Amino acid sequence: MTTSPLMQINHLVKKFGDNVVLNDITETINQGDVIVVIGASGGGKSTFLRSLNRLNSVTSGQILFENTDLVGLSEKQLDKIREKMGMVFQNFNLFPNMTVLENLMLAPMKVKGETEAQAKETAKGLLDRVGLADKADVYPASLSGGQQQRVAIARALAMSPDVMLFDEPTSALDPEMVGEVLKVMQDLAKSGMTMVVVTHEMGFAREVADQVWFMDGGQIAEKGTPEQIFTNPQEARTKDFLSKILSQ
Amino acid sequence: MKKWVQAFGALLVTLIAFSGLIGLGHSVHAADDSLAKVKSRGVLVMGTSPDYAPYEFIINKDGKNEVVGMDVEVGKAIAKKMGVKLEIKQMDFDSLLVALQTGKVDMVLSAMTPTASRAKSVAFSNVYYKAKQYIIVNKNEKDLYKDKSSFAGKKLGVQTGSLQADIAKSQIPTSTQLGLAKVPDLILALKSHKVDGIVAEDPVASAYVQNDSSLAAIDGKFNLAGDDLGSAIGFPKGATSLVKVANETIAEIKQKNLFPTYLKTAGKDMAGNVQNTSMLHYWSYFAKGVGYTLLITLLAILIGIPIGTLFALMRLAKNKVVHLIAVSYIEFVRGTPLMIQIMFVYFGIGLLVDIPALVAGVIAVSLNSAAYVAEIIRGGIDSIPVGQTEAARSLGLSQRQTMQSVIFPQALKNIWPALGNEFISLIKESSIVSIIGVTDLIYQLKVVQTATYKGVQPIVVAMFLYFIMTFSLSKLLNHYERKMQHDN
Repeated sequence: MTTSPLMQINHLVKKFGDNVVLNDITETINQGDVIVVIGASGGGKSTFLRSLNRLNSVTSGQILFENTDLVGLSEKQLDKIREKMGMVFQNFNLFPNMTVLENLMLAPMKVKGETEAQAKETAKGLLDRVGLADKADVYPASLSGGQQQRVAIARALAMSPDVMLFDEPTSALDPEMVGEVLKVMQDLAKSGMTMVVVTHEMGFAREVADQVWFMDGGQIAEKGTPEQIFTNPQEARTKDFLSKILSQ
Repeated sequence: MKKWVQAFGALLVTLIAFSGLIGLGHSVHAADDSLAKVKSRGVLVMGTSPDYAPYEFIINKDGKNEVVGMDVEVGKAIAKKMGVKLEIKQMDFDSLLVALQTGKVDMVLSAMTPTASRAKSVAFSNVYYKAKQYIIVNKNEKDLYKDKSSFAGKKLGVQTGSLQADIAKSQIPTSTQLGLAKVPDLILALKSHKVDGIVAEDPVASAYVQNDSSLAAIDGKFNLAGDDLGSAIGFPKGATSLVKVANETIAEIKQKNLFPTYLKTAGKDMAGNVQNTSMLHYWSYFAKGVGYTLLITLLAILIGIPIGTLFALMRLAKNKVVHLIAVSYIEFVRGTPLMIQIMFVYFGIGLLVDIPALVAGVIAVSLNSAAYVAEIIRGGIDSIPVGQTEAARSLGLSQRQTMQSVIFPQALKNIWPALGNEFISLIKESSIVSIIGVTDLIYQLKVVQTATYKGVQPIVVAMFLYFIMTFSLSKLLNHYERKMQHDN
């Protein structure tokens, strides 16, 4: 693994009124890292992830991405940054008025100015990669949840991002479809993509993560290799959380 | 609460600005250059409500509608004396004085009685024609009535705002009155026994009785005295030079005893009209009406959608001022009747810029529709889950691209039925433009009623024409709705 820093987060604070959701987070994400963020609901995981590409506003601090501070950028300037930060949502959020192929081609053509032929070629290659080449011309409504999420991953990859953010990508799926999505994510990790994944899939964290961050009370309460976190947690609240989730 | 105070404040400011505009109008006639103006323009504009044969009515001459009648002859004589051409603007009787005050017409020549209350805002010429006041009744009831005294406790039909309305009220105090804008409508009311009689001038009464064998007329024996009875020509206050020419012309006409000739010519024209009263014969009238109704509707849709979209986006904007402008506009337009908006654009804005009636009608209907379209579109945009915006923005699409490519196409599908309803009601609601003289289907329906002395048949024809238009549009919209259904 390379170790050049891709993102540097400094003293990140996010408040909703008096409620502190992110409490002074300082962390580094290196090129090629696969970071899995775990923690109980309400611990600030999703807010943290959505702050990384500024879908959320933040109260104070720095978010450096490739040496640019995202805090204080205008929406227009953020558009340029977000091109390079793919995001996958819990509810897929595919565009229902477009075919699968059109979902993949929209941003490359509109944002990057790719020609239709270029965008189509890339899109078809990506659909093949996520195992959905035969679904190119159907509308999202006719796909299963697992298929939709694989399309959503391919859609984000179509912009050739430098980092991929996953916001509970399997939480809305029926259990039998979780595997196919995790498989795609695992392949992506193997290809060297920098990934930040918020999930409850401890198996995935154990197998794929370079680092596991345990979030609680708006802070990264403990971090380490999967080995350290799952077999030898130091913090009492980490132990508490793991014992609850692993006994389910 | 604070928001409401702000919105109300914005509204007040707008209203004051508008009334300021109208205030300007009063100073227009400060010095009397009215005659000079007409002469330099070369055209004298006469306002009239051509539903009052034999004074003024419409005939079809060589396939074209033409306003003719006694008043038109008087108007021509005045124009000739001034050495200018006569132009006739048609509109509802109720709108005539407003048109005069706002400079849409130079004079009102529409069998108007120079009452004292009208004289407050209008400069009248001398009376050019005095008529007796008759009461039109159903022929089979003719023997029940002798004169006005027979109508104690009865119901009388009168034209709203007319002299007949005044004398019916004051001289038959126990009667009740039904006021309608147009004589053909009153005749319908009489035939369907909504009223027992109609007070009308004898030339008008005679015209109807001659052309409709089920009607009869009796002399009302009203007490008529003074110069405020009979018909006079209305001019803007202070236009003394115009009044002078008019009075000279009236004197000449009286001296030459031309009125009997005018009435005779009018009688011939009326006879020509009723030669063939089948609705088929008048198809070109209805076709023209349908044409204008469709034109107004189409333009209102084409103009209303982009403006409505703009207001919807403004209402959704984060900027408070922009938001407030949109909210004020939408609430104000939805909170006032289309009829008043049309009159405001034509007469009010018309003070500053001369807008033709059709343009004024299209503007008012479009701006009105825009407010409703804005609310429909806002609802459509609100109905799209926020995740769609997040997904698009996370891919690097700008706010604008997100709206254009992702949100709006989906919103359009959701709101299509509501938009369709709005378009269909536009076809029907656009009929209100007839009050300022736009020759849409409703207007043409009244023209045919007046020309044929038939009340119900033109209504039936117009009703079916409206239905054909709305039904066709509804089918067309359904077709596109099905086309958009692919994705679920």
